[in-house]
Amino acid sequence: MSWTGNRTAILLLKLSPLMLPFLVLFCGGVFLTVCQSLGLFTPLPHTGGLVDAYAVILSDPSFFASAGFSFGVALASAAGSVAAATFLAYRVWQLPKKMAGAALVYKIPLILPHIAVAFVVLVFWSRSGILASLAHALGLIQSMQEFPNVLYSGWGVGMILAYTLKGTPFAMLLILALLVRFDVRQIQTAAMLGASKPRIFFAIVLPRLAPALHTSFIILFLYSFGAFDIPYILSESRPGMLSLHVFDLYFKHDLARRPEAMAILTLMFGFAVLFIIAYSRTVTRLENGVRKL
Amino acid sequence: MTLRWNLTCLLLILPIVFFNPFAQPARASGDPLPDTPFEQIREQARGTRVNWYMYGGWAHVNAWVDTFVAKEMKQRYDIDLKRVPMDAGVFVNKLLNEKAAEKKTGTIDLLWINGENFKNAKQAGLLFGPFAGRLPNVQQYVDPGSISHDFGFPVEGYEAPFGRAQFVFEYDTARTGTPPDTVAALKEWIMAHPGQFTYPQPPDFTGSAFVRHILYAVSGGHDPYMDGWDPDLYEKNAPLLWDWLNQIKPFLWQKGRTYPRDSAFLDTLFARGEVALGMSYHPPHAQNMIIEGSYPDTVRTFALKDGSIFNTHFTAIPFNAPNKAGAMVLADFLVSVDAQISKFQPENWGDFPVLDMNRLTLSDRQRFEAVDLGPATLTPEQLAKTAVPEIPAPYLEALEQDWKTHVLDR
Repeated sequence: MSWTGNRTAILLLKLSPLMLPFLVLFCGGVFLTVCQSLGLFTPLPHTGGLVDAYAVILSDPSFFASAGFSFGVALASAAGSVAAATFLAYRVWQLPKKMAGAALVYKIPLILPHIAVAFVVLVFWSRSGILASLAHALGLIQSMQEFPNVLYSGWGVGMILAYTLKGTPFAMLLILALLVRFDVRQIQTAAMLGASKPRIFFAIVLPRLAPALHTSFIILFLYSFGAFDIPYILSESRPGMLSLHVFDLYFKHDLARRPEAMAILTLMFGFAVLFIIAYSRTVTRLENGVRKL
Repeated sequence: MTLRWNLTCLLLILPIVFFNPFAQPARASGDPLPDTPFEQIREQARGTRVNWYMYGGWAHVNAWVDTFVAKEMKQRYDIDLKRVPMDAGVFVNKLLNEKAAEKKTGTIDLLWINGENFKNAKQAGLLFGPFAGRLPNVQQYVDPGSISHDFGFPVEGYEAPFGRAQFVFEYDTARTGTPPDTVAALKEWIMAHPGQFTYPQPPDFTGSAFVRHILYAVSGGHDPYMDGWDPDLYEKNAPLLWDWLNQIKPFLWQKGRTYPRDSAFLDTLFARGEVALGMSYHPPHAQNMIIEGSYPDTVRTFALKDGSIFNTHFTAIPFNAPNKAGAMVLADFLVSVDAQISKFQPENWGDFPVLDMNRLTLSDRQRFEAVDLGPATLTPEQLAKTAVPEIPAPYLEALEQDWKTHVLDR
């Protein structure tokens, strides 16, 4: 037994409280999902070929419509959250000390569960909801049909609203953590040298925040791409979010269709991994390009 | 190097050992109660606890189980009843996982189940039985013909009857005049009142049932389907259904671009006045909602003359139930005259009895007749006039799948 081998063993042992749940639960779960998508170890004996489930899914145009829609909703809500969070966090950071305490209200949506935020959006924005009633009471609209059809516009606006409401404070948390360590003298120097406010923001502040922006974007994007609770309340029927299709296939259809549900999950997992790789490569390339300049 | 390799291998193999997917399925767990007289089963169950997993979305049903059923089970049989709220699809999956993991002693004693979930569970060998024929109350009061099939799938004693449901529509007399009473009139009504009608999107239970009503109506009634799955018949008749549903689509709520996800969502739309007609697979649903304060007093129900589908819902015992004796005592109590009358009262639940009225004593029958169902619920006689049976499960599955292709995605 070599000295390095011994050290690795000890390191692995020390990491085991982290590694074991990861390997057993996460890898085990992925392993079973992939197996069941191929028709192995399914609750009912699978009669078709290994890739039958994938063939069924990939030949269904509505799958691609749903995948594209899920992608769009995730992109819009993650980008919206990160943009709003950057703006708000910067403003909060600039607040005088006295008011900084009051600004902590931004954390409130963080403690609300996703499903509660979904209900908040539903209660406020539906045509028989609070805003519509208010508009009616103020005489802005004559009937509920005149209220903008926010929740059922076909663009997933309700879900994007809910995810943004939930994602913004999360991204703010990460961004503010970087901002508090930010040396304010850099800004003062830039201002003294005559830099405009937008220029200070884009040239000095934003590059410092980049790590937090990328991390929060990836987390929020992948979460809204695959999550189930907000779509369950706010999704429209068509094109539905992928997570809802999986839920229906898993819980509401014949057991013989279990491989299809698992195949969608496998594809979603594969997409998430590819997305992270592609995203981080692009970011690295862009940053290298900046440095060369 | 070798040690590291070994450790890596070990860590990679661990999940496989843990989940043990390569293991053979469990042998049917030994039947603990072969032909035991029921008195002895009751004795065996005394002082035990029964975990009843059931749909938990109806507050009044939960309250009825937690108060009346729990109290009677304690008093009569010294059994502690624990109700666990869980959707049927979820507990079937839980049992599948337990079966795959060879878990011989589970946590569930009794299930509230029917239809596709029963078919799934029975086909996958998740159920203990046959036991229904051994329950004294089933033997005495239930017509065996009425419980031989569940959505066209043979029951064979693997579930005991619990209640009966029938599909009705709901409307508010204060807002809507005379509601349509046939499928043809319903179509005209929908077209004359754009945006005022919708149905929950299949595979939701209620929405799926609505679609089956239309299938029966546009293809000559339920009779042709009763002999089991016939692909040719389905291919011939399903397009008539899709035509009908697509014709009303532009006149639906949100112009048919989106549908409510489940019946609770439709209830909300109806209660808030976004749509004028509601629907439920439970005749007392509207009355319950009135009692609860969610619907105005002026809501009434009606059934279409073309036929309104009824079904029976059941209780079943999992293969690995830790307390099968207790589960059988509870399943038997639920079919008793006392439990069925209490369940029939709208302030408790309003669910229809599964008992054959001809098998009851005169006084028991009078107790059922004396129950006041409330103004919103149709009487059993009114409902019986239009009652038609459920379609066999393979049709149901095909309809739910194809609805998406031919109606939603079109």
